[in-house]
Amino acid sequence: MTDTLSTAVSHELDENALLEAYRTMRTIRAFEERLHDEFATGEIPGFVHLYAGEEASATGVCAHLDGRDSIASTHRGHGHCIAKGVDVKAMMAEIYGKKTGSCHGKGGSMHIADLSKGMLGANGIVGGGPPLICGTALAAKQRGTGGVGVAFFGDGASNQGTTLESLNLASVWNLPAIFVAENNGYAEATSSSWSVAADNIADRAAGFGMPGVIVDGFDFFAVHEAAGEAVQRAREGGGPTLIEVKFTRYFGHFEGDQQTYRAKEVAEARAKLDCLKRFRARVTETGQVDAARLDAIDTQVADLIDAAVEEAKAAPKPTAADLETDVYVSY
Amino acid sequence: MGEPAVTVGAVANPASGRDIRRLVAQASVFPTAEKANMVQRLLAAFGTVGVDRALLSTDLGGISAAVLRALHRRRGRDGAWPQVDFCADDEITGTAQDTVNAVRRMVAAEARLIVCLGGDGTARVAAQACGDVPLLALSTGTNNAFPQLREATVAGLAGGLVATAAVSPAIGTRRASVLEVSAGTRTELALVDVCASTERHVGSRALWHPGTLTELFCTFAEPDGIGLSSVAGQLCPSPRSTPDGVALTLAPPDEATWVVHAPIAPGLVAPVGVRSWRPLVPGERVSLGARGGVIAVDGERELELRDETATVLLRADGPRCVDVRAVLAEAARTGLLRVRNPEGSVNDDGHLVHGGQPRAR
Repeated sequence: MTDTLSTAVSHELDENALLEAYRTMRTIRAFEERLHDEFATGEIPGFVHLYAGEEASATGVCAHLDGRDSIASTHRGHGHCIAKGVDVKAMMAEIYGKKTGSCHGKGGSMHIADLSKGMLGANGIVGGGPPLICGTALAAKQRGTGGVGVAFFGDGASNQGTTLESLNLASVWNLPAIFVAENNGYAEATSSSWSVAADNIADRAAGFGMPGVIVDGFDFFAVHEAAGEAVQRAREGGGPTLIEVKFTRYFGHFEGDQQTYRAKEVAEARAKLDCLKRFRARVTETGQVDAARLDAIDTQVADLIDAAVEEAKAAPKPTAADLETDVYVSY
Repeated sequence: MGEPAVTVGAVANPASGRDIRRLVAQASVFPTAEKANMVQRLLAAFGTVGVDRALLSTDLGGISAAVLRALHRRRGRDGAWPQVDFCADDEITGTAQDTVNAVRRMVAAEARLIVCLGGDGTARVAAQACGDVPLLALSTGTNNAFPQLREATVAGLAGGLVATAAVSPAIGTRRASVLEVSAGTRTELALVDVCASTERHVGSRALWHPGTLTELFCTFAEPDGIGLSSVAGQLCPSPRSTPDGVALTLAPPDEATWVVHAPIAPGLVAPVGVRSWRPLVPGERVSLGARGGVIAVDGERELELRDETATVLLRADGPRCVDVRAVLAEAARTGLLRVRNPEGSVNDDGHLVHGGQPRAR
C-alpha cells in the first residue's frame, strides 16, 4: 500500500521564524497607529486606509513567499507591503508624497509598489489585484520558476467581476495562485453579511473548482498553516486556492470615517482577539520565545517608525520636472 | 392558553464544514442552504409526530434567515409544522458560545430533544450544554465520527417520537461515553477521541500530520469510522454500545509495532504507527506521557500545553443520544407511524370509500 497524500510536513516555526513574524506584525501595527496620529495633523496628502488588526493575514501568508513570488494588494495595502519586504522608510516617505518614497512620491498610500520585492502595488481599483496575479502566476508557470502569485482583496472586491473572472481563469489554467479574501466585515460601510450573497466568500470556491477555507484572521498560526498548505499546493502544480480570512479592522474604512455603521466590535476585538497579544501570550507560555526578546523588537520597531516619520517629513517633495519622469515604465 | 406541551430544540452551526480540511484533504463543502433545508425537513417530521413547538437557533450565516423565509412562504398544503420560535435573546458572537447559549435556552424552555447540525465539534459543544435532554447529532459533512450522516426527515421522526414519549428513552436513547481531558485548570470533553500531538499551537485546528501524534484515546472505535478513531477501528475496534474505550500509544511508522492505513480525513488515507494499545475503562484517569504540545479533542486542536502535562478520564455519563434505528424499529413494531383504515372503508379496487386521510398518532 502506498501513501495517497503527503502528510509528513507540518508548518512548525523555529524561534527565528517566530521572532521574524512578530517583528513584521509589530512593524505593521506601529506603522499604522503612527499614521493614524500623523494623518490628523493634516500633513499627509490624500487618503490612508489602515491595516491595523489585520496583521496576521499579511504576515502569515507572506512568511511562505520568497523572491519568486508576487503579491497584489488593495486600498488597505501597507501591511502587505511591509510583509513582502518593502522598505518601511520609503513607504512612509511615499505616503507623505516625498521624492524619497517607494514611487518617488507620485503614488501615495493607495499606489505603493515595489516590483523588486514582488509587490505589484496597493490598488485604487476594488478588485484590481486578482487579474494581475493571474498574469504573474501564468508567467511563473510558463517559466517554470516555481513561483506563486497571491492576490489579497476585501469582501467588497469579492463581489467584483474582476475577482470572479480571475478565480475562474486561475482554475481553468490551473495557475499557482492564492486568493486571500480579507473579510473585515465591511466594504467601506456596507456589511458583508448583507452584500455577500454566498454567506461565506470561501463558499464560492466550490463553484470554481478549487478548495475554499475559512481561517481565523486574528490567529497568526491559523493563517500561517492554511497559507503554507496553499502555497505548497500551488508550487507543486496543484492549482489555486481561496482562503477567506475573517477579522475586524481597528480603524475606519479611511482615516476620518465616522464609523456610524458599527459599534463595539472594535473594542472587543482589540481586547479579546488581537493577533499580537495572542501571539505574544502563546509563544511565551509555550516557552518558545523569551518575552524580553519580543520587548526588544517592540523598541526597535518604535525607533524605526520614529526615524521613518522624521525622515519622511524632512525629505524633499517631487519637483515640477519630476512630472515628466516615470510616466511610462518598462518591466 | 398554557405553554405548548412538547417542545424540541434545534441548533445549526453556520461555521461547520469550512475548515482547512477542504484544502489539505477533500472534505466536503456543505452549503448553508442545505443546512436550512435540513432544519425544514426536521420541522416536517416533528409536525407529523405531534411536536408542538420547535425552538431554533439563530445565526448570521443565513440558516435561520432561510428557515424564517420558508416559514413565511408556507402554504396550507405543505403539511403541519410545529409552532416555530427562534432563540433571539443572546447576542450572536460567531463562536462556539452561540451553540452553548442556544442549547441552554432550549433546555431552559424544557425542550425534550436537542438536535444539533454540524460536525464533531458542534456536537461536542452541544453535548456539554444539553444536560440529560436527549441529543440527536446530525452531520453536515463527511468528516464526522460522532454525528450521524442521516436524512433529517428520518432522524426528525425518531427524535420527535422520543420527544413526545411515544418511544421511551430506555428503548430510544443510549448513553454515550465521554473523555474528559484536563490540563491545569482547563478541562475539555471529547465525544470520540483525545489525541496528543507534538505540534505547538492550535493553529487551524485540524490534525492531518500523523507523524506529530503521540497518544490517542477513543470512546469508541469503529472499523468504518472516519478521523483519528479509525486508527483504533482497524486495530482494536470498540463499539459505541459499550462504555469502554481504547488507548493507543502512537509512534513514527518505522518505529511502530503496527502501521495502520487509516482514513484520518476524507481523501486522506495515512499510515499511522501504533506502538501499543489497551482497553480503557470508565473511571480510569491516565496521565499523558509528554509535557507540552497540543491536545486535540474530536480531531481539533484545542489545548496548548505549557510546561505541563494533561490527564484523560473516560466517563460513562456522556449525553443521552437518540438511537434513530432503534426508535424507528420500535415505531414499526408498535405501529406508531401507521394506521389501518376501518373495515369496509376501502373498495375492492383499493379506493377509499370516504376521503379521510390516515394520520399518525
